[in-house]
Amino acid sequence: MNGLKELEAKQLNFYYSGKVHALKDINLPVYKNAVTALIGPSGCGKTTLLRCFNRMHDLYQGNKYGGEIIFKGGNILASEIDVIDLRSRIGMVFQKPTPFPMSIFDNIAYGLRIRGIKKKLELSQRVEKALNHAALWNEVKDKLQTNSYNLSGGQQQRLVIARALAVEPEVLLFDEPTSALDPISTGKIEELVVNLKDEVTIIIVTHNMQQAARISDWTGFMMLGDLIEFDKTDKIFTNPSQKLTEDYITGRFG
Amino acid sequence: MTREHIRKIQSFTALSLSTLAAVIGLVWLVFILGDIFVHGMGALKLSLFTKDPAPAGIEGGGLRNAFIGQLIITFFATLIGVPIGILGGTFLAEYARGKKIAQLISILSDIMVSVPSIVIGTFIYAIMVKPFGHFNGWAGAVALAIIMIPVVLRTTEDMLRLVPWTLREAAFALGAPYYKVIIQIVYRGASAGILTGILLSIARVAGETAPLLFTSFNNSFFSTNMNEPMASLTVTIFQYAMGPYDSWHSQAWAASLVITIFILVLTILGRIFIKWRFGNK
Repeated sequence: MNGLKELEAKQLNFYYSGKVHALKDINLPVYKNAVTALIGPSGCGKTTLLRCFNRMHDLYQGNKYGGEIIFKGGNILASEIDVIDLRSRIGMVFQKPTPFPMSIFDNIAYGLRIRGIKKKLELSQRVEKALNHAALWNEVKDKLQTNSYNLSGGQQQRLVIARALAVEPEVLLFDEPTSALDPISTGKIEELVVNLKDEVTIIIVTHNMQQAARISDWTGFMMLGDLIEFDKTDKIFTNPSQKLTEDYITGRFG
Repeated sequence: MTREHIRKIQSFTALSLSTLAAVIGLVWLVFILGDIFVHGMGALKLSLFTKDPAPAGIEGGGLRNAFIGQLIITFFATLIGVPIGILGGTFLAEYARGKKIAQLISILSDIMVSVPSIVIGTFIYAIMVKPFGHFNGWAGAVALAIIMIPVVLRTTEDMLRLVPWTLREAAFALGAPYYKVIIQIVYRGASAGILTGILLSIARVAGETAPLLFTSFNNSFFSTNMNEPMASLTVTIFQYAMGPYDSWHSQAWAASLVITIFILVLTILGRIFIKWRFGNK
């Protein structure tokens, strides 16, 4: 059972500053309501690929895309795409927690307010819903007006996930979301990611192969800008078809 | 003598020399502040703030005109200089980030900080006093604003750069346009630092004499008309201290005390804000 494709990269190429060829002819399907993990050694392009899906590379001059990424029947790399709208439908969570310098409530409400939601009742309902989704509500419900910097690192990361969820995106991109966290916080985030896939499609970049094995349904293995192998996670970790994948999984390099 | 002895002697010599240097430096600071305090306190009367100057040579009167003039000129200088400084700093740290032009402006701005203030005074004299034929308060405000701009601009730039890039990316990832990211996230994160820059820039210009001497000059009468010459504390101190009357001298001391305390308070406030911002992380 492969399910529906939420996103699909077709012959995707990417060049940093118009020169460095960071992604080479990537063909990658991303299935709806599943967790897709991207693994590979440092510098393999997995984060670069992730940042193509919400056009994050557009923030920096000289970056160039080639090929296409299909989302809802259209190519999101097309120049006429409104990236601001795109980014509200494809959210992102970063490696280090990125709470904004404001209260917990205002953090969650930030994306909603940008979308013009001003009504107090609707805001507070959606903030509560998002915090519940991110399994943070019980810990913060009594201190919504306090500064988000007072939360622990793990709580901050769940806050950021709640903030991304608040705008009800269709896809969530995770860029090594647990690499700055302790094992307990990591466990909570992993649990959260698995629970979230019923509502959003998830792509997660991770350095931690065990993490990919634990939480993902699909895994893509990348190296030097190439997608070496893409398959069901079980298959990748038990019986990969490429020698390179096997060498990486068994820890022979990387 | 063992090597340990030599090391101890070297250490003692270095310690003594640096302590001596610190003492020499501090002695003058304490001396100046103490002197201003002793002389100033004696002359500090309420009438200094409530009365305008008495005719030359006659006892009594105050410096109300100079206090008010100084406040007005500094206020307008801040009003002109701070927005330009903040917007310029924003341009350098955000929109022109990494570009050659940003580096060039940063360097020029650093040079501007160290340009003698009298040069700025004469420059404004040439463009804002000479063509109108008389000194005026606006020229003074603009001269001070020009001194403020590079200070505010560079602190704003530095403070905005301290806000981590990932924070901006996180806001972009939520679909925020750049101007909202800057106003709602970056300024908020850098607010204490920018405020410190503003306070320090006001402290910087509050003690300037040379640029005012060529622009707003002085006025023995109370005036709030920016189109006319306007009194200021610093120019008044200069004039009174050089003058022949004892009453002028004591009033100059009192004015020196007031302006020193004002600048001291601003500077300390600035430090507190910095501490508050960076101690709270």
